[in-house]
Amino acid sequence: MLVGLGAAAAYGGSLLPPVPGQQIGPNVFPMVVGIGLLLCGGLIAFGVGSTLEREAEAELAAHSDQPAPETAHSPLMNGAKTLLPPALLLAYVFVGDALGFIPTAFAIVLTVALAMGARLRLALPLALIAPVFVHLVFVKLLRVPLPPGILPMPW
Amino acid sequence: MLSTLAEAFRLVAAPDVLLAILLSSIYGLVVGSLPGLSATMATALLVPVTFYLSPIAAVATIIAASAMAIFSGDIPGCLLRIPGTPASAAYTDEAYAMTRKGEPELALGICLWFSAIGGIIGTLSLILLAPPLAEMALNFSTFEYFWLALLGLMCATMVARSNPVKAIASMLLGLLVSCVGIDNPAGTPRFTFGSTDLLGGIEVIPALVGVFALAEVMRSMTEPEPPKMPRRKFGSLLKGMWKLTREYPWPQLRGNVVGIIIGVLPGAGADMAAWVSYSMSKRFSKTPSKFGTGHPEGLIEAGASNNASLASGWVPSLLFGIPGDTITAIAIGVLYMKGLNPGPSLFTEKASSMYALYIIFIIANIIMIPLGIVMIRLASKLLSAPRSAIMPVIVLLCGVGSFATGNNLFLVVTVATFGVIGYVMERNGYPVAAMVLGIVMGTMVEQSFVTSLIKSDGSIWPFFSRPVAAILAFLTIAAVLWPVAYWAWGMARQAKMATQRG
Repeated sequence: MLVGLGAAAAYGGSLLPPVPGQQIGPNVFPMVVGIGLLLCGGLIAFGVGSTLEREAEAELAAHSDQPAPETAHSPLMNGAKTLLPPALLLAYVFVGDALGFIPTAFAIVLTVALAMGARLRLALPLALIAPVFVHLVFVKLLRVPLPPGILPMPW
Repeated sequence: MLSTLAEAFRLVAAPDVLLAILLSSIYGLVVGSLPGLSATMATALLVPVTFYLSPIAAVATIIAASAMAIFSGDIPGCLLRIPGTPASAAYTDEAYAMTRKGEPELALGICLWFSAIGGIIGTLSLILLAPPLAEMALNFSTFEYFWLALLGLMCATMVARSNPVKAIASMLLGLLVSCVGIDNPAGTPRFTFGSTDLLGGIEVIPALVGVFALAEVMRSMTEPEPPKMPRRKFGSLLKGMWKLTREYPWPQLRGNVVGIIIGVLPGAGADMAAWVSYSMSKRFSKTPSKFGTGHPEGLIEAGASNNASLASGWVPSLLFGIPGDTITAIAIGVLYMKGLNPGPSLFTEKASSMYALYIIFIIANIIMIPLGIVMIRLASKLLSAPRSAIMPVIVLLCGVGSFATGNNLFLVVTVATFGVIGYVMERNGYPVAAMVLGIVMGTMVEQSFVTSLIKSDGSIWPFFSRPVAAILAFLTIAAVLWPVAYWAWGMARQAKMATQRG
């Protein structure tokens, strides 16, 4: 636990320092911020204030009844699952225009639902209905130009 | 005064506003009661919808949805011992203990009744506090604004229930994000890496949607599904509430006052208010040993406190554009979009809109009682929706919603990026709220800092020579030094213990 916290702190510290203090015109503010980040990174690496953090964690642990995260899956699998939602949104950015909103949204909803362990009997209807409903609300009521793509809606 | 009030009532009585209040109340109740979906998330997902509403209706949706969500977070807390929103976490055990004793009606009734009262008292504080502060703030120059913004940022890091150094780091990260783009006093592109999309800066709303909604979905991907709610019939929910109101006047008052104070502090919101109030209630109670066994006292105090903090969080938001909590951080974005730019002049030039806002707050807290009763009775049915059906739709809404805020696909990239950032930060103990505050207030801090420096010809002295500025400066510096002092104190204590042992 302690080692993990120390490693995370060091990792956080190593992430923070490379902040460029720009030398052009309005450089004062980013420089001040950059130096501040550098200092914080150093302090975190040295473990300053980590006692407070542990206290808060202990208090939270005492109050929550959540079981420990499932360990049935490998950490790699968990990581992939965690990164799924942002990855799908990026996919939407790249193929959304070509495919259109409905097919892309169908794929997003279906993938997330299945990844969360929904049965096909639930995921499929959901993936069919939700995009159409969202499309209806955003295009018709809010007039957002969603890409029509290969499957334009009748409205 | 009277004509403004009449005008305000006319604004609120518009059909679109009333409909917005009703629909967003239902929405807030449902989202808040679903474990894993917070009140902030409810607000973030509402933003794209508010773009297409009239200014008053837009603000009304945020107020109603957030108030309802904070209350309905108590429902799964009472029945399942899982807080629906983080703001209910502090007293979930207490409420669940009551349910186990066979008094779920009493627990839910207390949550509902005292939430509504807390919300109304919080609104009164907003009505009473804001105008005199606005008058004072009219005399502020950029020096005061600079210190005020900085003090706000430091407050947010101090109250974070975590390592203050990490909180400051998050806050600086947020400031750094706000540096991106051409939108700075000199108009020079910064950190754009040649990208035209980054030239416009990083939009606040998609960033918040990413941090609060997408990151939450990411977290739920690997967490097990919460247990189902048992079906049960409830007796009268409001029975005995009046008696309890008279029985515990002090805890109530204390809860409300603490909630209001914490709400006004930048960055600290409902969850903080509930934690502080619950522990205060325990400390000052005549019967502290009863806490944890289903005793109403702590529940009353903390339940009132988190709702009181909601309204008072709007005080610094409306006056200075400094968000009082994460919900108002989002609300500020909407206010700017709707031409209700935060600032002291809002209270003089747009007084009727401000009165309308007060009225909406009070309406929301009153209709909370009937709607809340319906919600509690339907809860076991509504909450049986599996998470694997809700989260995919939220992913979709994150994408489409943020796209809708600017009709630009880069905004969807922003959501995805900040989802990852928020997730990683939370995992490593960096408070996300501090970063959000940095992003929201970065421009204001820099603008006032640079303008002040130009005015003073590069001299630091005027930052301290004006009386109000000097007081604010003192407070800020004290806040900066606090983690250092804490660390030194801890070191000294450790050294002493080592010598005692050795």
